Amino acid sequence: MSERAVAIGLKIPDNEAYTACAALRRLGVAVERVERSDVRFFDDGDDPGALRARIEADESIFNPNKHALVLLDEPAPRAGEVWIEELGARGPRCFVGWRLLDAAGQPVPRQDVVAAAERLLCNPAIETARFQQDRT
Amino acid sequence: MSAKAAVVVFPGTNSEDETLQLLRDCGASADLVHWSRASDLARYDAYVLPGGFAYEDRVRAGAIPAHDPVMDYVIEGAQRGKLVMGICNGAQILLEAGLVPGTGPVRRPTAAFTHNAQRHFVCKHVYAKLAFEPSRSPITAALPPGALVPAWAAHGQGRLAAHDDELAAIRDGGHLAFVYAREDGSTESATPNGSALGCAGLVNREGNVLALMPHPERDGWNFNHLRRREGADVLAPSGGAALFASFAKALAR
Repeated sequence: MSERAVAIGLKIPDNEAYTACAALRRLGVAVERVERSDVRFFDDGDDPGALRARIEADESIFNPNKHALVLLDEPAPRAGEVWIEELGARGPRCFVGWRLLDAAGQPVPRQDVVAAAERLLCNPAIETARFQQDRT
Repeated sequence: MSAKAAVVVFPGTNSEDETLQLLRDCGASADLVHWSRASDLARYDAYVLPGGFAYEDRVRAGAIPAHDPVMDYVIEGAQRGKLVMGICNGAQILLEAGLVPGTGPVRRPTAAFTHNAQRHFVCKHVYAKLAFEPSRSPITAALPPGALVPAWAAHGQGRLAAHDDELAAIRDGGHLAFVYAREDGSTESATPNGSALGCAGLVNREGNVLALMPHPERDGWNFNHLRRREGADVLAPSGGAALFASFAKALAR
């Protein structure tokens, strides 16, 4: 049994991510594109393909017409990504992942991700932010 | 020229008309000012941020509008002592902008009106009880001590949340402006959303910025009062108008 982090994002235009990108640029964060996803954790039973099929068949969290699914290699944020978790939230562990990309589609440096979290993406009164080297 | 208030409209604001009308009915001079005309705000003497879902609550309720250029004018005005009142989503914006409770730098929030304890939208008639001496804020100065302002709680994210030390700073620093109450004035377990300190509203240190979660403008006239007085003028002022009248009086000073 192994825990697998899964990022479920939109493959259709994501207005919220676009708005966040525009706001971050106005706040001086060097970012060209923002991707947003819901990050959830599942037992993959050492069979990632079966997990993917299971999620893709669950209409409560995945709509094939609008969602894209990524099975992450590590249960931690990727380069250019911050995971936001609501403090005191009940229910299964869940993060909102924000991935910041530059004009070449590459992840922005960590200091820009930290700046994005501090200036907009995380309200520390009610949320925590996890970055690439932080362990979940 | 008499002082004038701007009722600020963001994309997604939905309570601007009744807010404007109640201000006018209470004697204030006021205009609607849309986000696309932010620079117009400089010439106003006070700002009211009405309820709604500005920018669809993207990222968090109030987070995106708090960084909108509109708020540059509101923040600058607040720092110069202009009156600022935010209702519901307007209150959420003021917290995200750091103007209330104002215990940290601007645009670095130290608290939030966030998801209700029951995790769903609440629509309930409530009373907001003034929690400090009316003169603590010019906006409440014309209310009687312990005033009960009838209003409608209509929010999914109205629960005050902050770290324990910040909640202590809010309580001990005189930032708790209104608490939820019942019609008889009792406050125990009156919060409809699990709000910390029973908080319905916050004020900054100087007292010129007030954030109130429930909507007094939705109990501002006889026609939308919970127990309408039959036979009376439907546009007669109701209890919620008292706060707006106090605001109008402060604006006229």
